[in-house]
Amino acid sequence: MRLADRLLAVDRRIIYLLVGIGTLIPLLFPIGLPVTITPPVRSAFEKIESLPPGSVVVVSFDYGPSTAPENDPQADAVLRHCFARKIRVVGMALYSLGGLSVAVEEMNKVAAEFPLEYGVDYVNLGYKDGAQAALRRMNENLHELFPRDAFGRPVSELPLMQDVRSLREVDLVVSLATGIIGEWWINLVNAQFGTPVIVGSTAIGTPKYYAYLKARQAEGLLGGLKGASEYERMLSDRYPVVAEIYRSPTLYTATQGMDIQTIVHLVIIALVVLGNVLYFVSRFRPASGDRHA
Amino acid sequence: MRSQLPLILTFVAGVIPVIALFSPHPVMVRIASRADRWLVIMYAFAILLGVVSVVQSNTKKIARRDRGWPYAIVLLAGLTVMGGFGILANFGIFGGITTVAGRPTPFQWCYSNVFLPLQATMFSLLAFYMASASFRAFRARNLAAGLLMISAIIVMFGRIPVGEAVPFVPMITEWIMDNPNAAAQRGIIIGAALGAASMSLRVILGIERSHLGLGKGE
Amino acid sequence: MPSIGTWLGALLSLAILSFLYKDNPLFRFAESLFAGVALGYYIGNQTNQTIKPNLVLALTRDFAANWDLIFAGLLGIGLYFRYIKKLAWLARVPLGIYVGYYVGVTITQKLHGEVLPQMKDTILPLSGPGLAPLWNGLMIVGVFSVLLYFFFSLEHRGAVGVASRVGILFVMVSFGAAFGYTVMGRISLLIGRFNFLVNDWLRPLLGAVF
Repeated sequence: MRLADRLLAVDRRIIYLLVGIGTLIPLLFPIGLPVTITPPVRSAFEKIESLPPGSVVVVSFDYGPSTAPENDPQADAVLRHCFARKIRVVGMALYSLGGLSVAVEEMNKVAAEFPLEYGVDYVNLGYKDGAQAALRRMNENLHELFPRDAFGRPVSELPLMQDVRSLREVDLVVSLATGIIGEWWINLVNAQFGTPVIVGSTAIGTPKYYAYLKARQAEGLLGGLKGASEYERMLSDRYPVVAEIYRSPTLYTATQGMDIQTIVHLVIIALVVLGNVLYFVSRFRPASGDRHA
Repeated sequence: MRSQLPLILTFVAGVIPVIALFSPHPVMVRIASRADRWLVIMYAFAILLGVVSVVQSNTKKIARRDRGWPYAIVLLAGLTVMGGFGILANFGIFGGITTVAGRPTPFQWCYSNVFLPLQATMFSLLAFYMASASFRAFRARNLAAGLLMISAIIVMFGRIPVGEAVPFVPMITEWIMDNPNAAAQRGIIIGAALGAASMSLRVILGIERSHLGLGKGE
Repeated sequence: MPSIGTWLGALLSLAILSFLYKDNPLFRFAESLFAGVALGYYIGNQTNQTIKPNLVLALTRDFAANWDLIFAGLLGIGLYFRYIKKLAWLARVPLGIYVGYYVGVTITQKLHGEVLPQMKDTILPLSGPGLAPLWNGLMIVGVFSVLLYFFFSLEHRGAVGVASRVGILFVMVSFGAAFGYTVMGRISLLIGRFNFLVNDWLRPLLGAVF
């Protein structure tokens, strides 16, 4: 067997090891590479920046643990931005497998960083079934759809919810979404009720959202971990109080995650190039045939 | 009646949201909002349907001592403990399924320490498979596959800080996302949307009835 | 020292990761446990967050305003008749309403929320300053060639064949970009897990030991 063939037949676990080491080293020894801001993330940031203090933003946790490492930093950054600007936040979840729990964990964590009062500055309405039926109902009556918050308290007793009876009193929706739920906010809520929408999508869903963004059906887009890291940078540049939070040594940020992305992306690009070189070398030698095609 | 009634109800339920979009008549608005309320509740019951199927199949597996039956016991134990905490929480035991005074309830504890690590790790395995597939299967065999590979490499490189530092790379990456990518995605969105709408129409009109377990002649 | 919960999370994570070496009983145990707790999560989530507040409490606290929800509850329960052989046909009634409603919503959602706005944004000017007209032309060509590529009622020959071949090139560039983003997404998930294992479990453990 020629060298090219032998390399192509390398044990898959060697490749796994490369990925594992590529992830582990920058995790242990952060590099601190700077990220560049892209237009979709800037649009999202400027949209929230344009809202006056006291505005109401719905943050919908439409994801679960399966994509939390991507969506959690997006949620944290958007919540920090809203709280730093004294924008009131109504949290909710539409993703059934873990949406409620991530909403509780993330909102409790970020709210504790600011001098906020639950029920006045922010509320967490919890999870609701119904998918599109729930979205349609929100435009009519949020109190009827969410009679109790995530902790079982009557929503009618929460001062913030006295001002927010339906989506009509909401200035912006930010959906942090895995899968299709972010699209529902765009093609149903934005299209039929006109509420402005920003989506924090998983990286896998990001290419599709560019079409919605281009048609101005979404106000902005945070694509995967990269989108979150860009948002973190803009927040830190604009708000010293948030920059202080991101400097905490115990906080793992999307920006730090981009160090790891850099190394592993380079490893994978090298694997693609090497795989192709070996494939063509192996293919164009008369005796080697096309075994690895 | 067993087949006609569900088909009539499918038609009636299907036209409600369509008419409601075009008619602001109070009666129509009232009917549509009632339908929305009902469907929120039906949806919750529908999601739990799967639990019954899994319990049925796994209890059968244990009773027959099928291959891997001990794992069926593990599955049912996990379901009983997590679901048990969830059901008890409905009666005020343990104070709900989220937190009480900032402390996690048993349901939330099980979520954070069992469910979350299991699901997150299960999905993280895909990173390894992706790398392996990149090496073994990603081949520039023809023009189309070559374009796919070049686009993938540019985007992978252009979306990391090192790539962003190289002149023109961020600009080219954003151009790909904003132009050929957006155009293709738009074509796919429009095509899929037209397909979904025509399929929906077939269901409402009773032409497509397999979801009810009915054949064409029934 | 890490808490009991962190230890449990770390050991379960390692059990799943062990599959990378080869299939083993520890992985299959963790896999089965995952399926079980996921279903258990649904039970707690759906009953606590929807069935209790939107059905049970609505009926018990204000029956006069919510009496109609009895029918919603009965229809929901009716879905389970499929598990009783003699009454299985009755499950078709709620299923018909359920499927009918959602396909009705889908029609409006897809046509009004996707086809019209996306088509509208494809009607672009081919004149103007700078490179904008060129990119607008690219968008128009891209959208229609991709649509033709997925249109199977016409044989892909002649002009249609050429257009659909252009369409596949656009699709490939987009799928390449999607591949790049998918790599980023999958690595992000791995980062999340490694971050937990290193910073939440190993560091405190080593700190306590040494």
